[in-house]
Amino acid sequence: MSVIFPKWTNALPTLLAVVVAGGATTAVGGFWYYATPKFYDVGYQPLQPGGGFNHQIHAGKLGMDCRYCHSNVEKSYEANIPSVSVCYGCHAEGRLTQFTDSPVHVEKTAFIRDAYARDESIPWRRVHKLADYVHNFPHQVHVAAGVSCYSCHGQIAGMPVVHQVQPLSMSWCLDCHANPGDALVPKDRVTDLIWVEKHLADRAAGSAEATNIGKALLESLERTPPDNCGACHY
Amino acid sequence: MSSFSPDELTARRLAGQAPGPSMPPAPGTGDGSLVDDPAVRAPLVLNNRSFHDITEIVCGYAENKPPRWWLPAFLFASSLAGFGGLMILYLVITGIGTWGLNNQVDWAWDITNFVFWIGIGHAGTLISAILCLFKQKWRTAVNRAAEAMTIFAVICAATFPGIHIGRQWMAWFLAPLPNANGIWPNFKSPLLWDVFAISTYGTVSFLFWYMGMIPDFATLRDRADRRLRQLGDSAARIAPFVPIRTDKARAVIYGLLAVGWRFSSRHWHRYEAAYLVLAGISTPLVLSVHSIVSMDFATSILPGWHTTIFPPYFVAGAIFGGFAMVLLLLIPCRVLYAHMKDLITLRHLENMAKILLVTGMMVGFAYSMEFFIAWFGGNAFEVDVFLNRAFGPYWWAYWTMISCNVISPQVFWIKAMRRSPLVIFIVSFFITIGMWFERFVIIVSSLHRAFLPGEWHMFHPTFVDIMIFVGSCGIFLTLFLLFLRFLPVFPIAEIKAVLPQASPHADDHKKGAH
Repeated sequence: MSVIFPKWTNALPTLLAVVVAGGATTAVGGFWYYATPKFYDVGYQPLQPGGGFNHQIHAGKLGMDCRYCHSNVEKSYEANIPSVSVCYGCHAEGRLTQFTDSPVHVEKTAFIRDAYARDESIPWRRVHKLADYVHNFPHQVHVAAGVSCYSCHGQIAGMPVVHQVQPLSMSWCLDCHANPGDALVPKDRVTDLIWVEKHLADRAAGSAEATNIGKALLESLERTPPDNCGACHY
Repeated sequence: MSSFSPDELTARRLAGQAPGPSMPPAPGTGDGSLVDDPAVRAPLVLNNRSFHDITEIVCGYAENKPPRWWLPAFLFASSLAGFGGLMILYLVITGIGTWGLNNQVDWAWDITNFVFWIGIGHAGTLISAILCLFKQKWRTAVNRAAEAMTIFAVICAATFPGIHIGRQWMAWFLAPLPNANGIWPNFKSPLLWDVFAISTYGTVSFLFWYMGMIPDFATLRDRADRRLRQLGDSAARIAPFVPIRTDKARAVIYGLLAVGWRFSSRHWHRYEAAYLVLAGISTPLVLSVHSIVSMDFATSILPGWHTTIFPPYFVAGAIFGGFAMVLLLLIPCRVLYAHMKDLITLRHLENMAKILLVTGMMVGFAYSMEFFIAWFGGNAFEVDVFLNRAFGPYWWAYWTMISCNVISPQVFWIKAMRRSPLVIFIVSFFITIGMWFERFVIIVSSLHRAFLPGEWHMFHPTFVDIMIFVGSCGIFLTLFLLFLRFLPVFPIAEIKAVLPQASPHADDHKKGAH
């Protein structure tokens, strides 16, 4: 018998097995890591008009309630983006001089007064997006049930410019719908993000007091969260 | 019988009395005669072929120039396949509305074709697995082609569930893959079991087929290599002015496929063990795959589908239709290829005709039992569905099915009929048509009339429906023609093992050992 294949080809089957196994692992691992919302959606932070609304100052340092601006969150499916008149309510010419007369502040908020004068909206860019086939995400129901803003949007009060913290993928939604006790907070604390962050951390760490509050809230829940397709997709 | 042992043959060859390795096999004498004496084992290979003849004959199909009809047949089949492919593309781009489906008949040709093709494959698995375990030696002549047919039928079948889902780019949802939506296929649904059944079936059938071919690939490799060394620079090129010798390409390609097979006894030992293991794995698949396909229907609550007889009835039908397809393919091959009649004898055809008769009566029994149970069960809706099947608007499909599947195989009660290749070919053709109509009848005639007269609709296939089916036949034929052209169509070593010379006592009669 002559030599059709050189001797090194004996290694081919082993090599092939390694390449196939390695390739399959890389492909699966790569998809799992890179092609899921927890990689490609988390951290999304679009450029906003005027450098962005500084939640850290407004909700954090100044302690404004979320509902001052997102005023319909308890009544509506949408946690509305405030109109320019809401901004102007505070940022009108000379109104904030009792707090600050810094020229930097005046300069940075000029776009609000400009937009108000021109009777135009400020083109804020949406950060938290759900897929178009999620027809049904009611903010008011979640807030009424005691799901804090913090659970989905993160520590907004600490963000100079808002970015996405949670993947907002369907499996992430379902995780909470299956175990709502991990996220429910007393209804008067829903927008108290600093308190909620600490409380939920305590609960996750197993603190008896925080866990009991969670259990009580879960028991008082009128309906278990739905897990059928029609709940969100009709 | 003037058989001689391999050693004797070698001695004769060395003495120049017997044809050497380069001599082509002598022409055969046609169909030969059948031995009817039950005390005598019928020869499985006619014309007293030697071991060498078998190698020459089988390798010749892959090595010699193909017969003149091959290229036109291949071009015809592949253009059908290509046109079918274009129609699938059109379907994907435009949508399921290009099919004749409607709100009432929401499964029609797509699932008919799927069940038709997946059923075809079962003959191959039965021949390769069950007949192997039962040591039916006649299987060696037909198992390779039947296994190839199985693979090609599974490929055709797998096309249809993939394209009938509407959003074909979501077909990966058939597989239980972890995803960001946290949703999984419904493990309680037979449609998912189907995915597992078919993919297991395809994988095991492919392994069986490929593993069986490894020694034959090695034979083809070694023959190409030997020619290359004998002919040197005068060996033919694959095309004019292309600096690649045909035999070099063969040696490398068949060599890669042969994965280092060197005919050592250790190789054979492992080969036999692996073959038995695969036969053991495949045997339940013959029964399970089509049972699960039948559960796609039987687990629904639709009258006409909701019957417990479906799994055995579908399995019998699959074997029936599969054997018809094997015969439909092999009878022409046997006429068109040199010496193939020596290997696929009338005895083989007769055996398969008997299987057609048996399984044909099994499906006939199932057809009548469906009517009996509809009446006996006293469910008015079920009675109505079956009366509608036989006498409603689709009566022609029902009676086509009955005459093709139940009546036509009855000719095989007559010995002369089951020994006539032409008759077997014609009946197999009818059966193939009948088995397609069986699935059409089950699916469309059960669906087209629901409980309210407002839900009564007819199904009319569109051009796209028809051409995708024709295209799947094209894919099947294209693959089978490629198989005939390039791969070992018979298992060389296994056929040698059923030659009389392979028995250590082959010469005993001659030497007066009794």
